[in-house]
Amino acid sequence: MDNVKNWKELTPEQKREERYKKWLAAPGVKFKNKEAEKLYKERVTRFIKAIKMEESDRVPCMLPVGYFPAYYAGYDLKTVMYDYEKQRDAWMKFMDDFGDMDTFMGPGLVLPAPALEMIDHYMHQWPGHGVADNVAAYQFVEREYIKADEYDKLIQDPTDFWLRTFMPRQAGAFAPLARLPHLTAFVGIPLFYLASFADPGIQQAYRTMFKAGEEVMKWMDTISVVGREAIERGYAAFGGGFSGAPFDMLTDMCRGTTGIIMDMYRQPEKIHEAMERLIPIAIEEAVSLADAALAPLIIMPLHKGNKTFMSPKQFETFYWPSFKKLLLGMIDEGLVPLPFAEGDYIPRLEVIQDMPRASMVWYFEYMDMAKAKATVGRNNCIAGNLPVSTVIMGTPQDVKEGCRKLIKACAPGGGYILSASASVDTGKIENLRAMMDAAKEYGVYK
Amino acid sequence: METPRKWEEMTWQEKREERFKRWLNPPDVKFVSPEAEKLYKERVTRFMKAIKLEEPDRVPVMLPTGNSPAYYAGANFRNIMYDYEKARDIWIKYMDDFGDMDTFSGPMLIPSGKISEALNARIHKLPGLGLPDDSPMNQFVEGEYMMADEYDLFMRDPTDYALRVTMPRTIGLFESFRKLPPLNYFMMGEAWVAALADPDIRKTFQTLMDLAGEYRQWRAAQEEVRNIVLARGYPSLFSGGIMTGAPFDHFGDVLRGTRGIFLDMFRQPQKLHEAMEYQLNMLRASIKGFPMTACPLCIMPLHKGDDTFMSDKQFEEFYWPTLRGVFLAMIDEGLVPMPFAEGKYTNRLKQITDAPRSGVVWWFDQTDMAEAKRILGNVCCIAGNVPTSLMMTGTTGQVKENCRRLIETCAPGGGYILAGGAHIDTGKIENLRAMMDAAREYGVYK
Repeated sequence: MDNVKNWKELTPEQKREERYKKWLAAPGVKFKNKEAEKLYKERVTRFIKAIKMEESDRVPCMLPVGYFPAYYAGYDLKTVMYDYEKQRDAWMKFMDDFGDMDTFMGPGLVLPAPALEMIDHYMHQWPGHGVADNVAAYQFVEREYIKADEYDKLIQDPTDFWLRTFMPRQAGAFAPLARLPHLTAFVGIPLFYLASFADPGIQQAYRTMFKAGEEVMKWMDTISVVGREAIERGYAAFGGGFSGAPFDMLTDMCRGTTGIIMDMYRQPEKIHEAMERLIPIAIEEAVSLADAALAPLIIMPLHKGNKTFMSPKQFETFYWPSFKKLLLGMIDEGLVPLPFAEGDYIPRLEVIQDMPRASMVWYFEYMDMAKAKATVGRNNCIAGNLPVSTVIMGTPQDVKEGCRKLIKACAPGGGYILSASASVDTGKIENLRAMMDAAKEYGVYK
Repeated sequence: METPRKWEEMTWQEKREERFKRWLNPPDVKFVSPEAEKLYKERVTRFMKAIKLEEPDRVPVMLPTGNSPAYYAGANFRNIMYDYEKARDIWIKYMDDFGDMDTFSGPMLIPSGKISEALNARIHKLPGLGLPDDSPMNQFVEGEYMMADEYDLFMRDPTDYALRVTMPRTIGLFESFRKLPPLNYFMMGEAWVAALADPDIRKTFQTLMDLAGEYRQWRAAQEEVRNIVLARGYPSLFSGGIMTGAPFDHFGDVLRGTRGIFLDMFRQPQKLHEAMEYQLNMLRASIKGFPMTACPLCIMPLHKGDDTFMSDKQFEEFYWPTLRGVFLAMIDEGLVPMPFAEGKYTNRLKQITDAPRSGVVWWFDQTDMAEAKRILGNVCCIAGNVPTSLMMTGTTGQVKENCRRLIETCAPGGGYILAGGAHIDTGKIENLRAMMDAAREYGVYK
């Protein structure tokens, strides 16, 4: 937020207000018409008021659209991962057909499979590549990418760790990067930088990265029209960036579940040290993402902190303190973190409720929403959690009824965003319409 | 690393013995004759005994040959930068002409001309690149390449700092790296893939890759000289260890510059200490598990700790603790730190005695050698210090006389290597011969 004078002297609340102003004003956006601009402002205001724990005209709604546009257009996930034009067209068609929504995101989470193939990406399987052609989701491939005795590399020199330890194990094409020299050692003698470039394997790695980079750019160029079009038509921008909990960064990406659980007993202090290291980096990353976006919301999918993965004591020791520190760091910068708590978070409510008022949004999957409203929801906006099973398999009437109950439990006084427990893929458009209808029918504040 | 079993359980002396064995019996060298092999072993033994404070057959000599072979052959620094094969031939011919020496190495710190042009380093001037064509030396260009308020930035992520801050500041070719996004972000891998589409960044990588062939040629010529030298029975002292320096110099020479570092000593001594500790820890990590190499000596050129740059108190507080830390880390791994104390270290002698006996080799430039022997004689091997001025302008008689006095002063009881105070370039070969003669004539232990 370089354009705001005295940014550094502002309080967190003032910074957040500045970010809200930017969200509302949507600088650089050329709306299709006056009506679109009016709708955009109404919709953004709906979200801002919900986050501020105020009552707006009605409960805002995040529809669980997910990969549904691909299936709605008669394609599947595999097709649109390989064909960017079909990807773009499918999302455009859905937007044309659906009409009124509070927000609509482009297909940013549909990754470009050709680029992933080029780099021989290990960390995900996708339809046609590790999982069956007709599967409607990715599969994350958890593994011990980082060994138990490698924490110090991350702690001492994070970028070096990233470049020479993590990346080479993340994708086949990056493997030669493990042979790069430690860059800091040669500041005074530049010639040594060259040594790595004479290595044919490293040369090949760079060439592959360039090629994959071109492919990624091709994908971005093709699909970026969807996101831009959505905003120009008046759908509220929503995601300002992605982040996660420090414990999950270590677990999902580095040590794997088995590894981290061993570490919790064998070398707990290394986990803590590494998480401390990641916090400022994650804050900086979130700020730079949000600065480049319109909305200040940082979406944070959470994994290993839920009821089934760890005990309350472990949550309070390993998961929550560093995560809270990260959340507060983001809040200090005027960002609005939106953790998406996957799995059962009911036993966590008491612990996580102590956060500054109106500073963030808790999005729940498996949750007793009335209980959430009575704890976390007293201070901060909550979102959730119509079961995806209902959205996919239920009748429109089932969906409406589910939404009505949620609204009744969570909406009073403001601070609620109607949403499903996750996103759909192969569902029915009528059920998404029913959800939107419910918000308009039952969610109006008087 | 080809280590014997239980490397971790060995004492440092045992580890060093293993490295000495490797030095004495190089598995990758094919000696040209049994005579060459015999000479090689005699010469290495001479150095090893001196290091261990024992009496060898005679005082070993490191001739200050420097880059004088180029001038001996009628060529100069600049010619050698551009014609690698010629350089190789010149060095081999010089070696043949000279005959008996205890050690010999290829061209020292003469980079490839073509690569240097492309790198366009601001921190180095070279003959024809910032210096007159006939200049016999390179020139380091000190500057404030790290700002006073950037210590935290460095410590937060040293490689990130090197890549995106110092490299663009010090080397023209890496100017474009200012535009690189941080590599340590967990969530935005695609951002730097996209950065690879930036034309300036691509150009940097392309230039580096185009230079790879040139680097390979340069490197091959160097390797060839090295192999021939060893095969003929001349040990190398400079090709096996870790080339590093004092943590204080890392900041004082390369990053902050003399003016900057001296201000920091008064204005933010704590930051400087923290950063030096950080640097020391990184060095420790790279020293631990260092592979078995051709020679365990680690040459460490020292700069800002000499008598003229700082007071005894400042040396005690700022320079010595972390330098000693580097020594200890090397010694513990069986390596032999060989600090080259440029300038005058007479005041320092009393301050540097605190190290394991025979663990270090101190090589002095303008230090009072009688004092050095008196204070360090029972602590570690010392080397030095026929003045370069004498080597370049004196008569053979004067050189021999100077060597005789040095030997009389320093050799008794062992622990002395006859050496120059620095290296020569345009000097006379007869004076180098005189030095060698002096060792054979006056340096024999009986």
